[in-house]
Amino acid sequence: MLEIFAMNGANIWACIRQPSESFFSYSEKLSYEHNVRIMPVCFDLRDLNQMKAAVNLIMSAKLPVHSLINNAGLTYNALFQMTPMDKLREVFEVNFFSQYLFTQYIVKLMIRQKRGSIINISSSAAIDGNAGRSAYGASKAALICVTKVMAAELAEHGIRVNAIAPGITETEMVVQSMSRDVIKETIAHTALKRIGEPAEVATTALFLASNLSSYITGQVIRVDGGLRK
Amino acid sequence: MLLRGKNAVITGCLKGIGRTTMDVFAHNGANIWACCQMPTGEFESHIKELAQANGISITPVYFDLSDYEQIKAGMKIITVGKQPVDVLVNIAGIAYNALFHMTTIEKMKEVFEIDFFSQMLITQHLTRLMARQKSGSVINIVSVAGVDGNPGQVAYSAAKAALIGATKTLAGELGVYGIRVNAVAPGVIQTDMTASLSKEKVNELLSASKLHRVGLPEEVARALLFLASDQSAYITGQVLRVDGGMGD
Repeated sequence: MLEIFAMNGANIWACIRQPSESFFSYSEKLSYEHNVRIMPVCFDLRDLNQMKAAVNLIMSAKLPVHSLINNAGLTYNALFQMTPMDKLREVFEVNFFSQYLFTQYIVKLMIRQKRGSIINISSSAAIDGNAGRSAYGASKAALICVTKVMAAELAEHGIRVNAIAPGITETEMVVQSMSRDVIKETIAHTALKRIGEPAEVATTALFLASNLSSYITGQVIRVDGGLRK
Repeated sequence: MLLRGKNAVITGCLKGIGRTTMDVFAHNGANIWACCQMPTGEFESHIKELAQANGISITPVYFDLSDYEQIKAGMKIITVGKQPVDVLVNIAGIAYNALFHMTTIEKMKEVFEIDFFSQMLITQHLTRLMARQKSGSVINIVSVAGVDGNPGQVAYSAAKAALIGATKTLAGELGVYGIRVNAVAPGVIQTDMTASLSKEKVNELLSASKLHRVGLPEEVARALLFLASDQSAYITGQVLRVDGGMGD
């Protein structure tokens, strides 16, 4: 995502959980290669004080914020009857409440500018309801609903709000949390018979962040290779 | 230049969304077979200038969507040069505004002929080529009326709904050949077709859209550009609404 946006000339606040030397040197290299500014912002989504500090850091730059991509999140696989309440709460904390709050802060800025594009990364699991993903799927479904409500409320301020629902994508999250058999089976259910690449989700976010999508709001775009339940 | 080196077939190039899509695709480096019903002097000189200005080729192809023999002859013009066809955008169509009980079955068939059957025939011809190439992107222009229904447009909305059904099924059937099939559902767009609606109707539709304005043909064309390009390589079987937020 970071790479695709840098390649396309965006200045970026790159939010990550913990400072990491390898990330800093990577983003520095990207910024140099593509002649854009990349400003790392480190905060834990579960920590309100850290988030407030991060927002202050972003605001202090006094730059307009044109797009916000809520991409961070965690996955959790467990059957409904095996999902303890505290785990459910944790998943919602990271995948939903923190995005909600962070977006409230950033929207304040966008309203002043009278423009903006917000993209929430949801999941096909939010729409299809996959066995074993009640907590994750429900948190991502909540995000879809908020996407549509925000689109209705913020349109008058020139802010568009859309969501992307990736199917099976070759990320660490998928590779580590799903068994090889499940991955294979899911791929067999796609029309294109292959796993998606992170770059293919990123180019869709790029489309929604750019003026190419100026009349698109309140939508959920599935980037899933034609996944059938 | 999202379509540099790609070859695209676009129907309905004479005016409206089709004309604008042709312009946007040309600016993005695509070679184009520009399909429309019949030649006009203005159209021929426009495509000549457009091709020259963008360093691409544009081949006009004329056929009437209600005449299968003409469609087949048109397809021959496209396939005879043995060029790969990377993109097919089915834009051409007609609107028909009448209440259900005022819509004769003949009129219903006529609308389906132009808004659905002809698209199927064209798509059959060109996806045969795409299957051999093992790649391609097909995009059908449908309408929010085909998803939501729209009182006074029963024939049109039903034909567009049929096209959505075909879009999803073809995505499933043709995915193994590397062919993606998607639809774009425009809302109220500034075209002659929308001008056929009464002012009250347009205002009513616009008040339902979150952005509270009519869309421009360019804004539909850019969504088509995205779906035609490799930027959308993992998207298939989808209906993308370009409606300023009218749904739900």
